[in-house]
Amino acid sequence: MKIRIDHIAKIEGHASFTADIVKGDVKSAKLKIEEGARLFEGIMRGRKDIEIPELGSRICGVCPVVHNFAGFKAIESAYSVNVQSKDLRKLMMMGQLINSHALHLFFFSLSDFFGFKNDLQLINEYPEKTHDAMKIRDIGNKLVEVIGGRTIHPLTPCIGGIRKAPDIEKLKLLLEDCKRVLPIAIQLGELFSNLKYPHFIRKTSYVSLTHDSEYAIYEGDIKVGDKILEPKEFLSLVEEFQSYDKVAKRTHFAEKTYMVGSLARLNNNQDKLNPKAKDLLYSCNLQFPLYNPYYNILAQAIELVHCFEESIKILERLIISDIKVGEINVENKTGEGIGVIEAPRGILFYIVKIKDGVVKHVNIITPTAQNIANLEADLEEFENLDGFNKLSGKEREDKIKMLIRAYDPCVTCAVH
Amino acid sequence: MKPVVSILSLTCCEGCQVSIFDLGERFLEFLTKVDIGDFRLIEDIPDVDKYDIAIVEGTAITKEQVKRLKTVRKKSKILIAIGSCACIGGVQEIKNYRNKKDLIRYVYSNIRGIDNPNIKSIKEMVKVDLEIPGCPINKEEFFRIINEFLDGKKPVIEQKPVCEECVRKNNKCLLLLGKPCLGSITLAGCNAPCPASDFPCDGCRGPLKNINLNAIKKALKIKARLSDSDIELLLERFGKRNEL
Repeated sequence: MKIRIDHIAKIEGHASFTADIVKGDVKSAKLKIEEGARLFEGIMRGRKDIEIPELGSRICGVCPVVHNFAGFKAIESAYSVNVQSKDLRKLMMMGQLINSHALHLFFFSLSDFFGFKNDLQLINEYPEKTHDAMKIRDIGNKLVEVIGGRTIHPLTPCIGGIRKAPDIEKLKLLLEDCKRVLPIAIQLGELFSNLKYPHFIRKTSYVSLTHDSEYAIYEGDIKVGDKILEPKEFLSLVEEFQSYDKVAKRTHFAEKTYMVGSLARLNNNQDKLNPKAKDLLYSCNLQFPLYNPYYNILAQAIELVHCFEESIKILERLIISDIKVGEINVENKTGEGIGVIEAPRGILFYIVKIKDGVVKHVNIITPTAQNIANLEADLEEFENLDGFNKLSGKEREDKIKMLIRAYDPCVTCAVH
Repeated sequence: MKPVVSILSLTCCEGCQVSIFDLGERFLEFLTKVDIGDFRLIEDIPDVDKYDIAIVEGTAITKEQVKRLKTVRKKSKILIAIGSCACIGGVQEIKNYRNKKDLIRYVYSNIRGIDNPNIKSIKEMVKVDLEIPGCPINKEEFFRIINEFLDGKKPVIEQKPVCEECVRKNNKCLLLLGKPCLGSITLAGCNAPCPASDFPCDGCRGPLKNINLNAIKKALKIKARLSDSDIELLLERFGKRNEL
């Protein structure tokens, strides 16, 4: 039996899925990417250093902040520049995760649990929750806008930090907003903790940043299972491969597939979550490591709560601190650098070489490009889904779509 | 009968679609006023035969996308192109000014089966009824225009430079401060968010009609100390170069 799902809805970008089922066994599960190649790494070459982040943010309109920062971090690592008032960037990251997670959780994923094919149905049946989800997203957008100048394709980031100081009165209002909406985020989290997730287990490696004193989003070393590696070490074991006809590359680490994203972060760093997020996690009685990829959805819901708590902490610090802004002047604009950051969908790498301020080489490894091979490996073993044999063809298709969406793939990022 | 509205996304960052979503409560209200034809970001239902309004973001790069765009044009009474990609080509058009074969070989080890056409704006492929440019679009401007369409009016974007909106916000003139700002030759409607963040206008909305290109080039050389090649790089950034 052939399974073919054309143009999967409710993901960022365009992809289809094909597989065969031979005697109850799933074979040759492939995600077909249907996005045009924009050749970002190619168009950045020969242009000025700061165009890496400025063009890079155009890779993805859902997570432009992380592309922008990963680009700046790569340049700053190449030039050995220290970033001032890092809290400003960290707060923007919280905004980015909040708006992206809220979009995916409520508008892309939730309908799958209720069997709705159309979000309008979801909106009509759950009007209150829809307004809550919008309120949550609005806060995420405001966090990015107040510091970044606008919500999509931020304007204020510069080499060494942020170009322009945010209005303190706006920060104070944002603090009030975050405190007001935190309980709503917790309620949304509880909604997701009470859903029934399909039971599907496949062991894999979880890769994310990790940090001694915080739930790593903006910075840290890289954690793979029990190992902690520096970015350079990690990348030396990563193989990017691409076969003909494929516009999205795939990756292996030490010759195996791995998963990045919320579930990876939760598996690796759950002890660093903020208190309310931890309460929500503990209320779910989960066994770790958690090898069920459908739980990436719940992990996002837990992170959503964490991000609100973290935003409150950062805002409280910023309001009483002496915020330093402005570009740092660099004399020698030659070097090689790696920028690493946790995007909503997982760890993102910008690897750059710059000579006299002109871009010589760029390689961008996005979370979805890293996840595709792992997702395909999951789908190859999809017959292990609890109750798979009893499902009709249509039900199997729905569960496959649900798994693909649970990864929160961003196809525009994967191709770039 | 509610008007049937579709939102089609071709190759791009999808930030314009996200901007529409960012209207928040107003977006939800908009959904109650229309019937959705095709909007893959929020639904998984079969397509319909005719659209009253099609909103298109991105550029058609793959053969399938070119086909889809032409089909959508045939099905629609009104087609609106949104964003820099759809209106002027967007950042991906930079490759048109390079050796695009070298670029694809730099990015991919196996280039067989990967479409690599010159990037074209939507109006170079099908008839476009209105363009709402910007990277990303200004959601307020989009909201005004879509509502005017729904009310049966013919919306327009006034020909005036970004400088006009910038001055009204009491921003400092970045060009006078020596920054490479394209505000004086760029179509307004964005409400000048970039100069308000000390970020010089990089022309994402495309050029005004009847501008004096030599005058701005001279100003960029004298005030911002750009070389001829710097100016070309700047004008390429969103695909503006071939529009001038």
